[in-house]
Amino acid sequence: MIGSTQVLTTLGWLVIAVAISPVVWLILQPYLRGWSRAERRAANLLRDMLTPEQSRQLLWHGYLEVPSPSSADRVYRVPRARGGFVQVIENGKAVMRLCIQPVERLPDADVIVLHKLMIEANEEHYLQKANKYLCVDQTLPPDS
Amino acid sequence: MTYEGGTTVGMLRVMSRRGDDRVTWDQQKVSANDSEALAAVREAERIFAQERAKGATAFRIDQGKPAERIEHFDRTAEQIVLVPRVVGG
Repeated sequence: MIGSTQVLTTLGWLVIAVAISPVVWLILQPYLRGWSRAERRAANLLRDMLTPEQSRQLLWHGYLEVPSPSSADRVYRVPRARGGFVQVIENGKAVMRLCIQPVERLPDADVIVLHKLMIEANEEHYLQKANKYLCVDQTLPPDS
Repeated sequence: MTYEGGTTVGMLRVMSRRGDDRVTWDQQKVSANDSEALAAVREAERIFAQERAKGATAFRIDQGKPAERIEHFDRTAEQIVLVPRVVGG
C-alpha cells in the first residue's frame, strides 16, 4: 500500500514536471539563445561592422539607421528584433516598409549586418528583392 | 586587418546559422609564397566560389571605406563577408 502511494506520488511529480517544462523552456529560451555560440559570433561581426554611435543607436533605440547611398533624404531604419519591417524614411516621414529576409536562418545580429551591407553596397538589388508596403502620412515624432 | 607586430590578415566571413564561419590568411606570408598561407587563400577562394554559386552576395570591407559589392575573390581585401541569398518576405 505504502509502495503504491510512493509510485503514484512520483508519477504525479513526473506529470507536473513534463507539463511545466515547455513553459520553463519558453521563459529561458531567449536567455539561452543570447548566449549561444552562433549568437556570440554574430554579435562579434555586428560589433566589427558598426561605429560606436551606431551600436548605441541599436542598443537604445532598438533600430539601426542606414543612410541611402543614392538619396541624401532617405534613411533605412533596420529593427533589432527579428521579423520587423525595415522602414524607409524620406524627409522625416515613413514612406514605405520593406520585408526582405535571407533564405537561410541566421542569428539576429547577422540579419542586421546583412541589411546594412545590402543597403550600403547593393541598394538597387535590395529594393528590387524586397516586398514593399506603402505607408500613408506617418510623420515621425521629432525625437524618434 | 593589421595586428600588433605589423601582421596583416585577410579574412573571409561566411554568414550561416552557426554565426559566421571564418577563414583567415596572413597577407605578408601570401606575398612571400608561404605554402600554409597560400593553402588558406585557396580554401577561402573555394568557399567563396561555392557560396556564390548558391546565390550568396559578397562584400569587401576595408577599414575607413564604405562596403563594396564584389564579384570575384580578392586576396588583398581586409575582409570579405558573404551573405546568403535574400528573398522578399
